[in-house]
Amino acid sequence: MTRRRADEAGTWVLAGAVALCLAAMLGLLGLLAGAGFAPLWPATISELHLHDGSTLLGEIVAVYDGAEALRISETDRIGGAYRRVPTADIAAQWQPADAIVLTLTDGRRLFGRGHAAEESTLLASASRPAEVLDIVRPNALGTFARFGVFARNLGRFFGTRPAASNLDGGVLPALIGTLTLVLVMSVIVMPLGIATAVYLHQRRGLGVRFVRGAINMLAGVPSIVYGVLGLGLFVHGLGADIDRWFYADRLPMPTFGSGGLLWAALTLALLTLPVVVVSVEEGLARIPVSLPEGSLALGATRDETLWHLLLPAARPALLTGLILAIARAAGAVAPLMLVGVVKLAPALPIDGSFPYLHPSRQFMHLGFVVYDAALASSDAIRGVSRAYACAALLVGVVIALNLSAILLRNRLRDRYRALET
Amino acid sequence: MLGNPATCESLLSPDFVRAAARSRLRRGRLRALLVNTGTAIALTGLLAIPLFLLGSLLPWTGFPATIWHRFDMLLAGTLRAAACAVLVAVPLGIATAMFTAHFCAPRLRAWIKPALEILEAVPTVVLGLIAAATLAPWLKTHVATVLALIVAVPAVLLAAGFAFGSRVRGEGWLPLWLLPLLIAGAAVGVAIAAHRPSAAIVPASPWNAMLVGLALGLAALPLVFSIAEDALFLVPRVQTQAAFALGATRWQALTSVLLPAAGSGLVAAALLGLSRCLGETMIVLMASGNTPIAGFDPLVGLRSISADLALGMPETAPTSEAYRSLLLAALALLVLTVLLGSIADFVRERLRRRLHADGHA
Amino acid sequence: MLSSIPEFPSSSIAPAGSAENADTALRTEDLSLWYGARQALDRVDLAIPARRITALIGPSGCGKSSLLRCLNRLNDEIAECRVDGRVLIGDTDAYAKDTLVHDLRRRIGMVFQRPNPFPLSIHDNVAYGLRLLGIRHRRELDERIEAALKSATLWDEVAARLDDSAFSLSLGQQQRLVIARALAVEPEILMLDEPASALDPVSTLRFEELLHELAQRYTLLLVTHNMQQAARVSDFTAFMHQGCLIEFGDTDALFTNPRERRTEDFITGRYG
Repeated sequence: MTRRRADEAGTWVLAGAVALCLAAMLGLLGLLAGAGFAPLWPATISELHLHDGSTLLGEIVAVYDGAEALRISETDRIGGAYRRVPTADIAAQWQPADAIVLTLTDGRRLFGRGHAAEESTLLASASRPAEVLDIVRPNALGTFARFGVFARNLGRFFGTRPAASNLDGGVLPALIGTLTLVLVMSVIVMPLGIATAVYLHQRRGLGVRFVRGAINMLAGVPSIVYGVLGLGLFVHGLGADIDRWFYADRLPMPTFGSGGLLWAALTLALLTLPVVVVSVEEGLARIPVSLPEGSLALGATRDETLWHLLLPAARPALLTGLILAIARAAGAVAPLMLVGVVKLAPALPIDGSFPYLHPSRQFMHLGFVVYDAALASSDAIRGVSRAYACAALLVGVVIALNLSAILLRNRLRDRYRALET
Repeated sequence: MLGNPATCESLLSPDFVRAAARSRLRRGRLRALLVNTGTAIALTGLLAIPLFLLGSLLPWTGFPATIWHRFDMLLAGTLRAAACAVLVAVPLGIATAMFTAHFCAPRLRAWIKPALEILEAVPTVVLGLIAAATLAPWLKTHVATVLALIVAVPAVLLAAGFAFGSRVRGEGWLPLWLLPLLIAGAAVGVAIAAHRPSAAIVPASPWNAMLVGLALGLAALPLVFSIAEDALFLVPRVQTQAAFALGATRWQALTSVLLPAAGSGLVAAALLGLSRCLGETMIVLMASGNTPIAGFDPLVGLRSISADLALGMPETAPTSEAYRSLLLAALALLVLTVLLGSIADFVRERLRRRLHADGHA
Repeated sequence: MLSSIPEFPSSSIAPAGSAENADTALRTEDLSLWYGARQALDRVDLAIPARRITALIGPSGCGKSSLLRCLNRLNDEIAECRVDGRVLIGDTDAYAKDTLVHDLRRRIGMVFQRPNPFPLSIHDNVAYGLRLLGIRHRRELDERIEAALKSATLWDEVAARLDDSAFSLSLGQQQRLVIARALAVEPEILMLDEPASALDPVSTLRFEELLHELAQRYTLLLVTHNMQQAARVSDFTAFMHQGCLIEFGDTDALFTNPRERRTEDFITGRYG
């Protein structure tokens, strides 16, 4: 009996491990959803009355043992108006309903109180003038109005360029950079991946074992090593050669000889190649043998069977491979740091001027914004909340991609169940 | 022959067949050419990695001692971070795999697997952000709390299982019962600790190997889980069923049949988890402090090879000695991961063949 | 015909009775087949009369399906497979060096045990083989598809929904669709490998009627494990056992008065 109870105890520990994993995942998603959207909600404004008789108006950004951190009006520069107030010094604290928040175009915020007339005096109080972007009275907002402000902030976040060296404003260039990169990468990796998968599916012998071995081995190589290849071979090697041959007049300014969209896309294409090959080959292998046999018996060659029947039938697998590759590429930041991602790009890699796609341009990337805003920004508090917002966006995109890949895979499985004997 | 309308000529005319065959074969050759070219390009790209690294390092015979010394520090840092992460990922991943493959209700299993797949898809830069911005300030004062939880949670579970285990029906759903209890318990523990920040263990730096280990372990966990679960699930049902027929409990079937049969698969899972931890960049870059410190203390900072590459490569001139030393570090990383991957592949392949043979016997 | 009749076990090639008057559509000479080291066919000599239904019967694993796959060289796809002997389709040597394998397979339609429609629309299933032959013209395609579906007695049921997925059809309809797909490329011979085994009794009956109609224009070679079916449907029957052709003759004669002991044992149900 004791033996049996000891067994149960072991089972409970294993179940605890499962619960812990689930808890970690839920906690992670919860944290991202919470901290990611927090910067977009209108923040409550507090007024602090201190024991020495002074008052402070601002947004409480952190509470830690024995003190509160307060952001007051940024009259001079963004991130330059934080106050650490020991809790012991605070006599009273409340949220005045007539508090005004003025957001300026350079990202600074001014806090004040009073009627509409106060807004212009508030603006005049700034030692460095700027245009007003937005005026909100956050403490007086009803639920619907709060959602309205949230939606407006969300629109700004998606649809505008960054302001104040990436501390404020939108992430549009990073979003466009990420999407363009992934698009160019897909255009490179899909034909190569499909060709390789077809080769592995169709042929027998030594070549197949060699290719398969190379893919298996390199599938586990860390992404940073791909980045080293991208920098060393593509940028310093190929890029420098291209510059010498075709852009000699611009030297020593590098064109392709420095990191850029094309090299980053090539690097990511190599990184995701194993994912595509494995997925497509699995899709081809999953098709029941009765289909190719039926086609051969009709007088199709093996080659025609593959192109006219098997590849179209494996379309969901192709799509799954593409989606997984995109998800992997969207999350790979380390190699990009070597081959052309920048904190602030002067121009988008894709725009309205000929040739529309500019493969040699440097670009911005959501994942890199997360890294850069969290660790290297001049205003750590704004930086971290901005990093969380970008992280939530990135994870949202990647999870959506992965979910659709899982659904597609299940659909593919269901479709051929009817044919399996 | 077939009663085709008079407008259609018969397909059987030999001229027609021959003409069609010629163009069909020509098209086939073209497609074969496309496939071969594509494969060749893909293969060239993949093989370019080792060839490029070897090619640029071979003509370079000797490095000065300072470079080797620095390399040692980086390697030590990499190994320390990976070791901490493996301590988190491997026990948790393999325990989860054991439960999911052997005890779990099928409907719960159908949810756990995609859930962990999604965890795997979370970009590591996000985990790095959480480690650096949220976990690091908290861990600074709570090292003792974490260590206490690591001991207390399994102990409490063991005790609870011993006391109530035989009274609970449907152990396949146990994790769902434990989930709220675990969250509540952890929250209570953290709340108690929050009132009296423990000064028992104070890390030398808020960026340390333990912090890296927690985040990196979470990143490697899904990989360890999925490979271990595959290995355990590969063991034919008949074998465990035979153990049940002999009167074994589920736990006994696990330890006497499943683990011996799939043990090498679990080793492979651990190796691949280690390989993943060695090369991971963003988490280490964001949570380790990036100061090269040797030694085994998990509470001091470190600088790993991968982070060194990410920070150093863009700022080093391609002809300098420092650049070569970075290439050397990249080669070391490549060799380590390919080696671990090959061993794991070999072990898994052998396991698959053996279990497959058993399954048909 | 062969000059010398081999001794037992690969016995007679010419079916007794009226078959001698019919043309021969397909003939095997000394056909042997190995999968690796295992011999699946042992010196089979067979002459299939044109525009008749010939049934192949025998216990499972006797080499019936292997024989079919030899005739249209579908065995070529199996790496460790070796063939010895001759197969003549009309006057084409199937295993000659200059034979176009894909054209050979077009001339011999094949229907499998389970219906295997392609994951395409009904229309595109039938169009598949035609498009391979380079027929792209919309009107010609449609005419040929209609004719093929009519020959397989499926036209009336699907005329209104040609663009639906082939999987939306019932199993019996799927099997007729597969036949229409084979007929569209104008084969000379139609081989059916236990085509009714996945069908319910009503569909089976309907299917057998279709076979009778097809036999007026095509040579049919039917593998079946169902002896009642062989007796009902076929004109001639060949009995195979362990890779050897034991007996081949007029169906009525073979079932009522088998010459070989093993044939008798099989049709009376002593083994198989």
